Parts: sequence; structure tokens; C-alpha cells
Amino acid sequence: MSKSTSRKLNLTDILVTIVVALVFGLVFRLLGPVYDLVKPFGLQLDQLIYGFWFIAGPFAALLIRKPGAALLGEAAAAMAEVLFGGSGGIINFYYGVVQGLFSELIFAAWHYRKFTLSVAMLSGFAGAIGSFVIDLFYGYLADLAGWNLILSIVFRLLGGAICAGAFPAVLVKALEKMGVANLVRPVSKEDYDVLNK
Amino acid sequence: MGEIQGNTDKWFFKINPSFKFLIIDALFIVYLVVSNLNTMIWAACLFLILYLAVNGFSARLSFWLIILTLWVSVFSSTAMIFFGQGTHVLFRWYLVVISEESLARGTLIGLRTFIFSLLGLIMASTSRPVPFFYSLMQQLRVPVKYAYGCLAAFRMLPMMAEEFVHIRQAMKVRGLRQKGIKAMYERIKRYALAMLAQSIRRAQRTAVAMEAKRFSMTESRTYYYEIGWSRMDLLFSGVIVAVVIGGFLLSGWFPLTPYTHVIDH
Repeated sequence: MSKSTSRKLNLTDILVTIVVALVFGLVFRLLGPVYDLVKPFGLQLDQLIYGFWFIAGPFAALLIRKPGAALLGEAAAAMAEVLFGGSGGIINFYYGVVQGLFSELIFAAWHYRKFTLSVAMLSGFAGAIGSFVIDLFYGYLADLAGWNLILSIVFRLLGGAICAGAFPAVLVKALEKMGVANLVRPVSKEDYDVLNK
Repeated sequence: MGEIQGNTDKWFFKINPSFKFLIIDALFIVYLVVSNLNTMIWAACLFLILYLAVNGFSARLSFWLIILTLWVSVFSSTAMIFFGQGTHVLFRWYLVVISEESLARGTLIGLRTFIFSLLGLIMASTSRPVPFFYSLMQQLRVPVKYAYGCLAAFRMLPMMAEEFVHIRQAMKVRGLRQKGIKAMYERIKRYALAMLAQSIRRAQRTAVAMEAKRFSMTESRTYYYEIGWSRMDLLFSGVIVAVVIGGFLLSGWFPLTPYTHVIDH
């Protein structure tokens, strides 16, 4: 198959994104009960690992490097979680779409040209902000005591940047070394330079 | 999913899957804007009855899922109950301050989680993946590439599960189970990388094979399964409308609590 130069998602991109999302969806499903067990302590410590819920979006974008990958990845992961009957139910799908959209916006802001650690962390950070949008409607946030609210926001944004930004960046870097990532990357300028040598 | 759904003859399986998905999505919006505690209590009861009547799981599994859902719902409300703001304080212990207002709000949030979980379970327990994605293509015009991509990915799940077991065994044999934060990070990374690398390679090979057979390269196509509409869809809309309206009416007739407006957005 020829590696297309177009920036549209082709079949390979879609399939790889969805499969990766399923892996994460499965992890979400397995992690869910563990996470629910940590929750009761009430001090919002669970927010630190909340970031793992936004991981699929930034990961897919870092891997595929095309517009739409982050949104598709996060939405598919959320959809998988709903279909596996994850706790929280149908709302997870909405969370996924909004988080994916926010992560996507960060990559779009750099015109899908910059995929560095800092951009990835910003993307995870944006995913966390996306999750707050729905939380606000859900009523998790309104009327919490001030210190508790701030604790929750700080922990989640931090967790988002690390778990959903830095961690996928490390993973993708390792996959690049393993030679897996360039199976799905669009052809870059350097690839053409190699041909011209 | 297929194996754990006991009796697939139940009428909820015969509803058009896209329609079911859209209706359940819409219900989500409805209960997100309800801030009347009584309505939520009644709606939760009615949806519980509906779930018990129509779900496709075996009795034992659905019982444990209900217990799990209750547990999750209770704890989704704890932060609000313990740390929410309010003036009529009932209980105070260091940072924990429980007031009437926070208790009502927390209960509402818990009930929301409960209802959404039940809706998710109704959807998950009565939908088979193949008709669901075929219906998405036919009724909602989801591009064929995406729907078949999802179906192909679903077929890879058993392989992923098997791989997971293999990796675990391989690590056990090599004595890689160490304790500590750093070892845990290394372990998560090792699992993730092995699973991801294999999945990406497999997905890429599958896509190449599909394109070699000219998958989705032509505009028009036919479907092996034609998903249509039936009387069940009407019945389903009727039942859902009855449950929703029933919840609102019952909360008007038999208000169980004095809290009719507990959350300001």
C-alpha cells in the first residue's frame, strides 16, 4: 500500500486509531472499578490519575499525526467503554467526544506540524479542561467548598498533562524506536530527502 | 459481548440499534438538566424496573451489575456530600461538613450516575455489535470505513485478551514482578508498549489486506444485513416516553423530599 501524502485519514489510520482506542477502552474498563474504589476518600486524590481517561486522544494524534485522529481516538475509546458496560454508562461517550475535541484543538492550533512533548502535555491539559465542561453540567463542581474545588481542578489539570500528555509522548517515542510508528505516519519531507540522496 | 448476553430473543434486541442509541443519548440530556430531587428518585425507580424487565444479561450477572452500579453511584456523590457548601449543617468533623443542601445535591448526583449507568447497561446488554454498526451505516450514514473499522477492531479483542495473558505469563517466568513506584511505572509501560505495538501492526496488516481487496474504493455498495424498522421501535418509544413522563408525574403527585431545585448551573 502506498503511504498517502494526503492529510485525510485513510483506512489504515482509521483502523489503527480504533484498535488503539479499543486497547485503551479495555484499560478504562479494567481501571474503572479500581478508580471507583479510590474515589471515596473524597480528598480528590483520584483526580491525579483521572488523566488516564484522556490518553487515547493525544496518543492517537501523536501516532497518526493527522487531523481528526485525536477526536476519533478518544470518541472510539469512550464508545468502547460504553459498549463494554463501563460504570457511569452513557455519559462516558459525551465525555469522550468533548475531551477528544479539546485535545484535537491543541494540535490544530499548531496546524498538525508540531508533535513535541510540550504540545502533547498541552493537549492532555486541554482534555482535562474538556472534562470539566461536562462536570459543570453534571453538577460535580457547582457548590463544592472552595478549597475542595481548587484541589480537584489543580489535581486533574496536573494529572491530565502528565498522564494524558507526557505518558503517551513517552509511549509513542518508544514505538518510534521499535519501528512501529512509521508504519502509519504520513510521509515527511525527510523521507523524500532520503530518496533524493 | 456476545457470550454474556443470555437470551437474545428479548424484544429490546429487535429495536433498531441506531434509534435505541439516539433515544438513550437524548435521555441523557433530559436527566442532565433535571434538578428536582423527587423526579430523579422516581425516575431512578422506574428505570430500575425497566432495566430488570428488559436487560439481556443473565439474572446473576444483572444482579451484580446493579450492586456495582449502586456502589459507584453512592461514591460519585461522596465528594459533594462531604465537602459541598450549605448553611443547615447536620454533621461536622474536621474538613468534612455535611449540610442539608450538600446532602440533597450529593444524592441528586448519585442518582444521575445511577440512571446514566442503567441506561448504559440497557444499551450494552441488548445490543449486538454487528447489527449496531450495520445500522449506523444504513440509518445514520456513518462512513463505511469507520463502521467496518470498528467491526474489524472488535474481532481483534479476543486476540488482545490472549496476548495480555501471554505477556503476563512471560513476565512471571522472567521474574519481573517487583514492587515500588518505579517498578510499577516500568510495568505499565511494558504492558502498554507490547499491547500497542502488536495491535498497531495487526491493524495495519488488516487495513492493507482490506485495501488489496478494494474495500470501500467504490461509491455504491450492498449490505449483507439490512437493518430496518419494526413495530418494536414504536413500542420502545412508547415505553420510554411513559417512563420519563411517569417520573415527572409521580414526583408531582408523591414528592418524597422537599428539595425541588438543588443545583444551580
